[in-house]
Amino acid sequence: MKLKPRTLAMILAGGRVDDLTVLTFHRPKSAVPFGGFARVIDFPLSNLMNSGLDRVAILSQYRSYSLINHIGIGAAWDMIGRYRGISIMPPYLGYGHSQWYRGSSDAVYQNLDFIQYINPEQLLILSGDHIYRMDYRELINYHREKDADLTMACIKVPMSQAHRFGLADIDDEDGELGGRVVRYREKPESPEYNWASLTVFCFKPGVLYKVLESNIKEDASYEFGRDIIPRMLNENRRVYGYKFKGYWGYTRTVEEYWQTNMDLLGPDPKIQFADWAIRTNLEHRDIKDCQPLKVGNSARISESLIYNGCIIEGEVENSILFPGTHVEKGSKVKDSVLFFNNVVGKDAVLDKVISDVNTTFGRGVRIGEVTRPGKKEAAVIGWNNFINANTIIGSGCTVYPSLSSDKIPKQVEPGEVVR
Amino acid sequence: MSNIEDTLVLLLAGGVGSRLNILVTTRAKPAVPFAGLYRIIDFSLSNVMNSGMKHVGVLTQYKPLSLMRHLATGDAWDFTGRSRGVKILPPSTGSRDSDWYRGTADAIRQNLGFLRAHPSKEILILSGDHIYQMDLYAMIEFHRQKNADITIGMMIVPESQIHQFGTGITNDEGRIVEWEEKPKVPRTNLASMGIYVFETEYLLNLLAEDKEMVDFGMHLIPKAISRDNVFAYPFNGYWRDAGTIQAYWEANMDLLKDDPEISPEAWGIRPNLESEQLLADRIPARFAAGSSVSRSMISAGCVIEGEVINSVLSPGVKVGKGCSIRDSIILHDCVIEEGAIVDLAVMDKRVRIGKGAVIGKGDKKNIPNKKYPEHLYTGITLIGKEAVVPPGTVIGRNCIINPWCKQNCFNDNVIEDGSTI
Repeated sequence: MKLKPRTLAMILAGGRVDDLTVLTFHRPKSAVPFGGFARVIDFPLSNLMNSGLDRVAILSQYRSYSLINHIGIGAAWDMIGRYRGISIMPPYLGYGHSQWYRGSSDAVYQNLDFIQYINPEQLLILSGDHIYRMDYRELINYHREKDADLTMACIKVPMSQAHRFGLADIDDEDGELGGRVVRYREKPESPEYNWASLTVFCFKPGVLYKVLESNIKEDASYEFGRDIIPRMLNENRRVYGYKFKGYWGYTRTVEEYWQTNMDLLGPDPKIQFADWAIRTNLEHRDIKDCQPLKVGNSARISESLIYNGCIIEGEVENSILFPGTHVEKGSKVKDSVLFFNNVVGKDAVLDKVISDVNTTFGRGVRIGEVTRPGKKEAAVIGWNNFINANTIIGSGCTVYPSLSSDKIPKQVEPGEVVR
Repeated sequence: MSNIEDTLVLLLAGGVGSRLNILVTTRAKPAVPFAGLYRIIDFSLSNVMNSGMKHVGVLTQYKPLSLMRHLATGDAWDFTGRSRGVKILPPSTGSRDSDWYRGTADAIRQNLGFLRAHPSKEILILSGDHIYQMDLYAMIEFHRQKNADITIGMMIVPESQIHQFGTGITNDEGRIVEWEEKPKVPRTNLASMGIYVFETEYLLNLLAEDKEMVDFGMHLIPKAISRDNVFAYPFNGYWRDAGTIQAYWEANMDLLKDDPEISPEAWGIRPNLESEQLLADRIPARFAAGSSVSRSMISAGCVIEGEVINSVLSPGVKVGKGCSIRDSIILHDCVIEEGAIVDLAVMDKRVRIGKGAVIGKGDKKNIPNKKYPEHLYTGITLIGKEAVVPPGTVIGRNCIINPWCKQNCFNDNVIEDGSTI
């Protein structure tokens, strides 16, 4: 019998990621569109739903309108009910209190009264920024079995990439399943071990309260990776690593974001998207009201994902199109990700382009065809732009959001930033 | 003066629509899927929503389950809130009237309690059977301007079809002076769309006059015309009954034209995706390398590896490698296995077509179905819900495969034109 929820999940969804440039000018990373209809935060939220965890709090800070709008009342993930719910927790002003969240652990600390009110048996803290599928129950079971103070999910990454992550050295206590974390380093310059933290933490609440208190009193930085985990290891707390072996899309850079999208495509895609059981809020941007995709007479489509509400009259290859995008006759979209309501005009060519919402590409526009030597980089176009007819934009360019169209030169060299 | 938005709406959704054959084996006509994502009733419901009306009663009778599931709380059409709502009104037993609905007017008469609970100056009665977009607010304004007792939505239809409709002859002001229900020899081309605005008081009195008057078109309207103010409200947009397999197929094909006559999204028609009650949302349609699609509507969740031409696919349809789908309507979650050919078919939900099977073989489109010659006579083959067509089976024109037919229903792997399994 379960009289009330035993687990409270908190999603860290407040951050913007500088390297995603224009895609996070107006929204936090967690609200960035992904996969032709969803948002990044739909992945942890759907994981929670599919794990039967339905008491959730979302810690938001940066430009949270888009996120709040997306979460709505939580009905999309069945999280409304007597004990089911999603609470959005922005920073607040109060008696003797007025500050922004100063870091991930501070965001949790500032909401301790809420956590204590719910009084869960375990507190699951997740990043809202990653693309993966996980049954959190397995992690929680392992955590309980080990009577751990903290259990963190980790994934093995190539040693050459490891310096970008928080890294754990996990012993062989439970072989393939996991083990005790004996050492931990946040983004070390020369890594000695390569189990990267997924920012999926299961805490024993009583222990976390104490550690947060001393962190706030004694430190000047308030991050789980940099401060809380090392502090727990120093105090010789029971910290365990749970070894995750599935797909993990980190998406901290434009290139990684693009690649993670491309991992949805191909004859044997790395992400078996339909099996991931993702739900999104279909009311956000009214995508539930879209009619089916219309494919015209002269259209050619291959290796692509295209949602309802699009109209395709041109050619689409190896691309992902969100609702409301119109690809006109004679145009070609290749290796691209086009967010909601883009218009690709007649005879335009988009080659490795990520385009944010409501952008129109005029007739004959060519983007990404002129390249710098080396690997082709994605061009990123901010939202609400109108690119004049016959404009040529090189690969790897960035166009800022909402520019007046005379600000965008007729020809933009590869890698340039148009602001 | 009462607000037009407060007008009570009654939507008649109890019709069998038997000419839709296997599509109405498990559902009433208003619940028949249309244009990929929608059901027929979405058009009427969305028109009501977009016209601003807030209270709707849906009268059901025949196989209401999928309809009820589809309507749910009415949330999809904004009918939830303190001062709005949609109620299902099934027939019920009572102390005196304890019968099934005997006709359109009888259905209203048996729900007088609902009418009294939602007092409004006018009552708008419409059918849930039709594909159209119409401003019902403007119709009620017209009704008020004319000081009418009844206003009937009417449109001009081709002479060849007029025998299916109630018809009216109007004078210069638009007042209907003569009425003929389904005339054999037409004297007018002005047909009733089954959309009525009644003064509520007037309707209550008329219904009380004679309980044997059970149908609007047959009984109440002719009587009213002979003595009261009945006006025709002219409509001249796209309107289809979609009540036969041929009309249903044609209306779906109208979606695919270059300058389409039906644009559900532009018309503000809303489906109810949540009524599918799926664990996960449908992901975007996936197009594999080597697929080829033209002039078609493809819904989310489809996986296309073969060829699709001039067809409408509902969510979750899988078209395997080497398949060819042409001029067909395929409902939710059908699986067309590798190499199968489908030409001119209407396929209900979750049908499986085995490898290399052919649906719609040959060019004898004029051999009608032997059992239902008046339903299938243009070459369309129907496959019922969850039927499984074994690999290699060849099915001709104007055939019917009944719902849930499995391997053991097929004695032969060649099904002649016009057969029913």
